[in-house]
Formats: sequence, C-alpha cells, structure tokens
Amino acid sequence: MLAAGINDSILVVVLASAIVYGTPLLYAALGELLAERSGVLNLGVEGMMLVGAVMGFWGVQRTGSLGVAIVVAAIAGASMALIHAFLVVTLRANQIVSGLALTIFAGAVGLSSYLGNDLKLADQPARHAFTSPLPHSWQTARIAGPILFNQTWLVYASWVCVVVVAVYLNRTRPGLNVRAVGESPAAADAMGIDVTLYRYLHTLAGGAFAGVGGACFSLAITPQWVDGLTAGAGWIAIALVIFAFWRPALCLIGAYLFGAFSGIPFTFQARGILTGIPPELFQALPYVMTVVVLVLVSSAGARRRLGAPGALGVPYAREER
Amino acid sequence: MIRIERRLTQPRWLTFAVPIVSVAFAFVVMTVVLLATHHPPLHTFRLLFENAFGSYDALNASFVAATPLIFTGLCVAVAFRMQLFNIGGEGQLYMGAVTGAAAGIALGNHSSWLSIPAMILAGAAGGAALALIPGVLRAYLHTNEIITSLMLNYVAALVLTYLIFDSESYWRDTSSATAKVFPQGKNLPAAGQWPTTSIGSLILPFGLLVGIALAVLVWVLYSRTRFGFEVHVIGDSPRAAGYAGMRTRRMILAVMALSGAIAGIGGASQDGDFRHQLDPRGLTAAGYGYAGIVVAALGRYNPFAVCVIAFLLGGLQNAGYALQGADFPSGLVGVLYGLILFCALGGEVLIRHRIRFQFRRPVAEATV
Amino acid sequence: MPAAVTLRGITKRFPGVVANDGVDFEAVEGEVHALLGENGAGKSTLSNILTGLYHPDEGEILLGGKPVAFASPREAIDAGICMVHQHFRLVAPFTVAENVILGDHRGEGKKFMVHPRRVERRVAELGERYRIAVDPGARIWQLSLGEQQRVEILKALYREARILILDEPTAVLTPQEADSLFETVRVMAAEGRTIVFISHKLHEVSAVSDRVTVLRGGKTVATVETKGATPRSLASLMVGRDVADIERIARERWDGGIVLEAANLSAIGDRGTPALRDVSLTLRAGEILGIAGVAGNGQRELAEVVTGLRAPSGGTVTVDGKRLRSGSARAAIRAHVSHVPEDRLHTGVAPSLSIASNSVLKTYRGSRFRWGPLLRLRTIRDHADRLIRLYDVRGGGPDLPARQLSGGNLQKVVLAREFDGQPKVLVVASPTRGLDVAAIETVHSHLRTAASGGVGVLLISEDLDEILALSDRIAVLYEGAIVGEVAAEGASVDEIGLLMAGGSGE
Repeated sequence: MLAAGINDSILVVVLASAIVYGTPLLYAALGELLAERSGVLNLGVEGMMLVGAVMGFWGVQRTGSLGVAIVVAAIAGASMALIHAFLVVTLRANQIVSGLALTIFAGAVGLSSYLGNDLKLADQPARHAFTSPLPHSWQTARIAGPILFNQTWLVYASWVCVVVVAVYLNRTRPGLNVRAVGESPAAADAMGIDVTLYRYLHTLAGGAFAGVGGACFSLAITPQWVDGLTAGAGWIAIALVIFAFWRPALCLIGAYLFGAFSGIPFTFQARGILTGIPPELFQALPYVMTVVVLVLVSSAGARRRLGAPGALGVPYAREER
Repeated sequence: MIRIERRLTQPRWLTFAVPIVSVAFAFVVMTVVLLATHHPPLHTFRLLFENAFGSYDALNASFVAATPLIFTGLCVAVAFRMQLFNIGGEGQLYMGAVTGAAAGIALGNHSSWLSIPAMILAGAAGGAALALIPGVLRAYLHTNEIITSLMLNYVAALVLTYLIFDSESYWRDTSSATAKVFPQGKNLPAAGQWPTTSIGSLILPFGLLVGIALAVLVWVLYSRTRFGFEVHVIGDSPRAAGYAGMRTRRMILAVMALSGAIAGIGGASQDGDFRHQLDPRGLTAAGYGYAGIVVAALGRYNPFAVCVIAFLLGGLQNAGYALQGADFPSGLVGVLYGLILFCALGGEVLIRHRIRFQFRRPVAEATV
Repeated sequence: MPAAVTLRGITKRFPGVVANDGVDFEAVEGEVHALLGENGAGKSTLSNILTGLYHPDEGEILLGGKPVAFASPREAIDAGICMVHQHFRLVAPFTVAENVILGDHRGEGKKFMVHPRRVERRVAELGERYRIAVDPGARIWQLSLGEQQRVEILKALYREARILILDEPTAVLTPQEADSLFETVRVMAAEGRTIVFISHKLHEVSAVSDRVTVLRGGKTVATVETKGATPRSLASLMVGRDVADIERIARERWDGGIVLEAANLSAIGDRGTPALRDVSLTLRAGEILGIAGVAGNGQRELAEVVTGLRAPSGGTVTVDGKRLRSGSARAAIRAHVSHVPEDRLHTGVAPSLSIASNSVLKTYRGSRFRWGPLLRLRTIRDHADRLIRLYDVRGGGPDLPARQLSGGNLQKVVLAREFDGQPKVLVVASPTRGLDVAAIETVHSHLRTAASGGVGVLLISEDLDEILALSDRIAVLYEGAIVGEVAAEGASVDEIGLLMAGGSGE
C-alpha cells in the first residue's frame, strides 16, 4: 500500500515519464553528437527518426521480433543519413539546406508517411512492444521501481550507449581521430587520417541512432504507427546536443530534462491536475524550453569554449585554392 | 575517385540546364521509388500532371495552392539572402492568419477598401512579430535562428488550436449550438473576403496578385537600394560588413521582420482568399512553411523564380490532395519535394564546381 | 652523399593555374636544402605533393632512388616524409601529446585505447635533445605560435622522419628565435636527415642552407651551392630580373600635426583574454609609424580598435583632435580613418560581390552614389572603372567578383578604395603578405606616396624587413603592450628582435 502511494505520487510519475520520453531524445542526440563531432551538422534528425519509427514498426509486424525491428530501424535511419553524407561530404553541398531537405524528404509529410501508408501500418496494434525485462517485484519496488526498473530494454541499452560513446570519444584512437576531424580536418588529413571516411561513418552512425530513437516511439511509447509521431523530437535532439556541450553524459541529463517536459502534459492531463490551465501551455513546454536553453548556452557568445567542434558545418576540400 | 574542382567561370547555360536536369533526375528517382513499392509510375505521373495543370479547373486549383507558397517561398528567400535561415515561415503564417482574421472580424462589414489593406497590414505585423523573436535572439544573443524559428512553429500551432478548440476566444464562432459542440472560427464579414480576378476561364485569387506584387517589391529592394546592398554584403561576409560600418544587428532585425511579414501576409491571404475564418486544422495540415523552403531553394532565392516554382510545386501539391487515396499514397508529394530538393542541391554543386572522375594510376607511368 | 629525395618533371594544375610546371628537385641525405621562390612560385604545391596531400598530374617521385607514389599523406609519413606547414596543422583543443600521436599507427599507435601520458615522456625527451622543449601536457591554444611550431617539429621527430619540410618557418618567430631554429635544423641535418627549407627570404636561405633550388612561375630555375651564391644573385634568379634590395628610400619629411592619438588602449581578444594592455601612441601627418612584433601579440586587436571594429575595454582614440566613438566603424570612417585590413579577402572586400560594389563598400551611403533609397548603379560602375584604371588593377572589369582577382590586384582594389576616401589616417595591416615582389613594390610605393601627401600611416606588420624599410619610427608590441619605441634610422635588427621577444631593449 505504502509503495503504491509513493509510486503514484506526482514526482515519481513525472520522473518515470521523463525517462520514457527522454530515451528517444537520448538516442537521437547521441547520434547527432557523433555526426557533429566529425564536423557534419545533420538537421535531418526528425526525418531519420520518423523513417526509423515506421520501418521499426514494420519490422516487428513482419517478423514479430523486436530485435530485428531495432536493427531494421537503425538501418533505415542510416540509409537516410547516407543521402546527407553523400551530398555534404562528397559533393560538399550546404549542410543546412541538405539537412532541411532530408527532413522534408523523410519527414511527416514525406517518405515516412508514404511507407506507413504503403505498408498499411496505420491504426494497427503492435504485435509486440518493449516491456520491462526485470522481475515484477522490482518493478513495483518503492520509488526506484517505476522510475528505474519498470523501463524497457531500450532504456537500459541507451545507458550502455552513453558510456560506450563517451569512452569511444575520449579514450580510443578512432575517437581521438574523429575529434580531430571535427576540430581541424586539415590537421587530421595531414596526419594521414581519412577525413571523408570518418565523416561518412559517423554521419551514418548518427542516422542509425536516430532510427533507433524513432523506433522508441513506435515500439515502446505509443506503440503503433501514426504519421508524424515524433512531433519535433528530432529538433529537440539537435538543440540538446548544443545544450550538452557536445558531451555524451550531459546528453543523458538533458534528454531526461526534456523528457520530463514532454511527459508533463500527459501526466497532468491524466490526473486532472491544473485543469484550469489550457493544455496547450504544457504542450508548448518542450518547445519553449528548447528555445530558452538555446538562449542560455549561446548567450555566453562563446560556443567554441563550450566545445562546439571547430569545423562543424564546414565542408573540407584538400585541393581547394 | 571523384574529384571536385571549383569552376572559375560559370557557364550561363548551366544556370538554366541544372534546375531542369535536377527536376528530371528527381522524377527518375521517384520512378524507382514507385516501382519498388508497386505503383505504376507513368500512370501516377500522368494523374499528377492532369490534376495539376491539365484543365482550367486544375489550373485554378493550382493557383489556390500556389498562393501561400509564393509568400512562404519569399519569406525564406529574403532571409537567406543574408544567410539567415528563417524556417519559421509556417508559424509566422499562422500568426498572420490570427492577426489578419482579427482585423477582418473587427472591422465588420463596412468596406473592402478598408478591410483588405487592414488585414494585409495586420497579417504582416503578426508574422513579423513572431519572426522578431528568433531575430532578436540571433542579433543580440547569437542564438541559432534555425532551431528557435522552428520551435516557434510548434508553439504557433498550439496557439491556433487553443484559440479555436480550447477557449472561447474572439476568433471562435459561439453563435450557435452546433458551433459550441464542433468548434470552428467566426466567419469573416463579406468586406473581409478577398475578391478574385478572372482572365477567361482562369480565376486568380487576390492573394496571388499580392504575392506577385511583393516579389517585384523584393526584387527592387534587393537589387536597387542601399538596404539590398547591405543585405548582400552582410550575407557574403559579415566581417566585411562590419568593416564597412554596416549595422549588422539592425539589419538582422529588419530582414527577419520583413521575412516574417511576408509569411504573415500569406496567413491573412488564407483567411481572406480561401478559408474566410481562422481555420487551425486546414492551416496546420498543409505545411505551407516547409514547402516554402523547397520553393526558395529551387528558385535559387530569386523572387521571380520563386513565383514560378511556387506555381509548379503548388500544382503538385494540389494534385496530391486531389488524388489522395488508395492508389495514390500520402506523403508522395513530400517525397517528391525532398527528391527535387536533393537534386537541386547536387545541381547547385555542379554549377559552382566541375566534377571529374579520376582513376588513380601509378605516377611513374604518367611520365611516359 | 646519396640522394634522399628526387622529383622529376612534376606538373600540377589547378583550375586556371599551372602551379608546378615540370619541376625538378633533388636533395641529398644530411643536407639543408632551401627551396627559394616568390609567393606563388609553386613552393607550397611542390611540398604538398611530396607529402602526399596533392597528387601530381605528371612527373615522378623517387625516394632513395626508388620510385614511389603516395596515395595519401599516411603513405608519405610512413616513407619518412613530414612537413611543418606554414599554417600549422594542429588541433587547438588537444594537448601537445595528443597532437603528437594523432594518426600514428606504429608502436603506441597500434593500441585501440589511447594513453597520451605514455608518450609525454618521449615528447619531453625529444624536446630536450633538440632544444625545442614544450610542456607535453599543455593544450595547443595555450601556446605561442613559436611553441606551436616546436610541436609540429616534435610530431616529425616522434615519427622518426628522414625528410623534414619546413614551410616559411620563420614567419612567426623573432630574429633570435629564428637563429635558434636554424641550430635545431643543423643538428637534425647532422644526424643524416634531409631538411627542405622553404622560404622567400634571401638572408635566411644564405644563413641556413647548403644548397638552394630556385623556383619561378612554377618552374625550376636553378640549383646552386649556397656558398657560391650571393643574396643578390639569388634575388635575380628568384624574380627573373635585377632587383633593388628592399631598403630605405629617403622620403620628404613632413612636420605635420598629430593626426592620431591613442591613449591607454586596452582590449579583450576573441578568446576572452586581454589582448591589448594600456597602449598609447601618437602619429603625425606624413609619418609612417611601424608596429613590429611576432604574430599574435595584439596587432590585430590594435588595428581593430583604432578603426572602430572592436570596442576597447579602456582608453580612447582621437583623430585630428576629435575623440572617436569607441567601437564604431562608422565613426572611424567619417573621421577619415582608412583601413587596409590584414584579411583582405573576407574583411577588405565582400568576395562574391563585384569590384564595382566593393569599390563603394564604405561610400555607398554618400549622396554621390544614391538617389533617395535607390543606388545609382551607373555612377558606381563608372567610379569603379576609374579606380581600376588609376590603380592599374588587372584581371577583369568592374563586374568581376572580387574573389577572382589575384592577391596583388585585390590589394590594389582595397588600396584604391581606401585612398579615395581622402584619408587622414591610414591603418595598414600586413599589406604585402602573400604578394609577389612586383606587387610588394607597388604597395610600398603607394604607402610612401600617401605619407608624402600628408597622411599619417600606421603600418602594422610581422615582416620586420618591411617595417624597417618604410617606417620613420618603430614601436614594438609584445603581449599586447608596447615594450619599446625606436627611430627607424639606425635601428638594429638585434635590438628590435630583443624587444619582440619581450626583452627590455637595454
């Protein structure tokens, strides 16, 4: 009884939903972070997430396996990123315009909608959805139960990803190389590091992460396919990378913070809290907070000092003169 | 190995050939997508074309669809000239629709000569006000305008929903019992409904003419005035602009306001020309602002080209709506837009660079 | 001595230029071989080919007599060729040790996990041995340019390079530091390494090299023993005609009033650290005041503060008796302060705009070029046409985008515009960097003419020869402060060099 009481308290529920809604943001932000650390700005996260979401859902409906579904989502996201990589790394097109094009191409009124429609996925109940792998008694434990233990594999895997990405970037040789490529491609190139290869790989990895992030919606949160179900999460993820100063561990904190903003409207509505206040006010919270956070981190005017890769958004051409 | 070299001179024919080839290439890729998903490409394209440009009715519907795209396309284009990415055209259009409708309702049914200019001005003010938020943040706090302007689109959409669905606001029709159960906007008085012009069987909405007039104005402003000169210099090199004593911050504010105002007039045109009320569902479903990015990018940011492209893409969009159904999947138009944009982007590179395919050969052999 | 590296018939074309046109070059083991040529003669291209960054269109490379073809810089590094680029290839937020191991794939470099600390000792050792010590744990952005150069050399030594290419290495050094670098170079050569020393400065080449290969217009002109050559003979090989040494030309002295007075200027640099400390100086009409110093000691900030591009954190600028509104470029323009900026391509002009537009970059607001809010495009074009003829700008008419001009012609456009504003004060920063000898002479003569016409010229340059040749007085900047001032007549390089290194000058 006592446990149920605490576990039903608003704070616990909000914290639990922060993790639920933060997880797709976390995956997408980690992916964007990898791409940006290599110097590629990819504004197409929203599109990659949606394609990941629809293909992941297709995967589970088709095969019944959540594992396969996640792999499909990752591949789908990565193949979207490949278009961006070809345009901006090989053809050296404007990264901003290419990213926007990717959002339009893949996004809510584009390929994801086309595929969802064509594969007849809308309004279908999911055959399987991610649930907590932990014993029931853990899930109902006081406080920690709903927040930490009644979560899906996707959540636990995201924690592993944070550690892996952080160690990769800071401790390993390819990590050192990719940071050099993002900071100063000319320096990396002169030392024999293949700038093009590194940029391709990390942009693709970024797409794969975004695809998994999208699949979090269609395989765990919703879990079904609805056009445009990410509702701007991809854009929030991009802002999150800036908020996190391009550091994986801070992405985790930021993602859960924004997850809480995203979860609050649902929680409040479900519980009839603050019914006098229009629901739109809460729904606007994640978007308004994104703007606020961006202002806070940019007002210092010294993004460089905060850790923005030196060559972010700049194409590299060895023989240009 | 692909090698890309900067062209010293850009052949004139390329500036025409590349967009055409890009669009053609996009259709080729689209064909592959359609085939892969078991849709007959030729049939689909024919349907698309017929419903876009194939008859007077189709053309008139395409004019309707093109009207907002001219505004949102110009909105993106004027900002991009100064390297500002205002992708908040969507939300700025919503706000223009809100303020435009307010003016139309408030002025009652007196005179169109009063109502229409007032709606245009009010729409411009509404759009400009929303665009100034990212503008001020960018000018004074160096906050990236891309994400802030985009986030405000979602906020503006929520404002629309709130005004009609979750409140008894000035804009909501509360006159009848049905209107209370099924929320909708107040109808504009006849004076606030914009006229149309007919040329033969072609019907041109008033907003379309306003859009074309704005394109002319933008062209004059950008190619013939001090304001335009400063925009060009700042867009090309902010450091050179500072060196020349230009006031970059003020210009950022001015250009963002101009950009937002144009989108806002587009919103007022939605009220006055077509919907005759504040219509959240219709506005948010259309995605005019995002299509405007495609229009501007394809028009290579030239105001006249923006008008032409808006008409062509408007046609596609119109056909997409008309055909939506089982054998014409939703999202197809978006996919096509995206493909065209990718191809145009690749084409842009071709204009500025020359691409060489090179196969590496042993250097010693090359001396022979 | 056996040949360490041989280049035969190297040709490299870029769109619109042939940078190397059948170049032959050979350096033997244990020698310091200078590659001499003007800016634009093809030295950097040649060295980028040697290091695998560029692929030659024609020609062959032999290492120790065997033909090689480098597909990438990595293969060149593995073959023992390393280069210290003129613009350093260092990753600023990384430590010295991290930069040293970057891209290394032998020994410690084989491991998947990196442990920069393990190489720190080795880096420190190398620094000691070659007398180029730097703190291996320091981050690059904390280091002076001279120290950064040491890191570049350490990178090469750590990889046990057999052939080391130094591209214009003295540009960032004081004369004393340059001497110390020459010693390091000789130590390395004595160990059997080959040093290719790229320079356009004759006295350096004479001081450090054993042999000299001269490039002109992308072609090899000659290879000579340094001992048998004089600076004069090298100069005529380099330029293709007899040139007068850059030396002082007597100029009619003006005794004008004070046109510019800077008092107690302080400013914060881009990194947020103090870049100018309490700088005061005066400039008279008709005078050239040279500001000497090693790059990065506050020169850029000084120019920006005087011209209103940067708001000072303290102090005032007075022009012709009137205090300028600080941090306002417009106020400076109105007070007839002209400015030839260091970065001519992105600050001096808007590169994609036409020469015509750029010729009115500061005057488009004036009534001459506008009619209400509209611009008089015809008048602007005619104005540009006149300036092009007056200053002999070659390469295109008023409609050509500025970026398509060569460096020398671009500088003429900037000078033409700045002189046209009837300046009282002219702030000139590194006006001849990257230009060839003919263009340098033109720029110098324009500056002398301006001074003779009564303009006060503030000449900020890292090229000490240029400062000595043109200035009437010389002030030296070190870490943002003026550490000494001398009359140019009879000033000694040693004295100024000591000041540039922060010495007291006594």
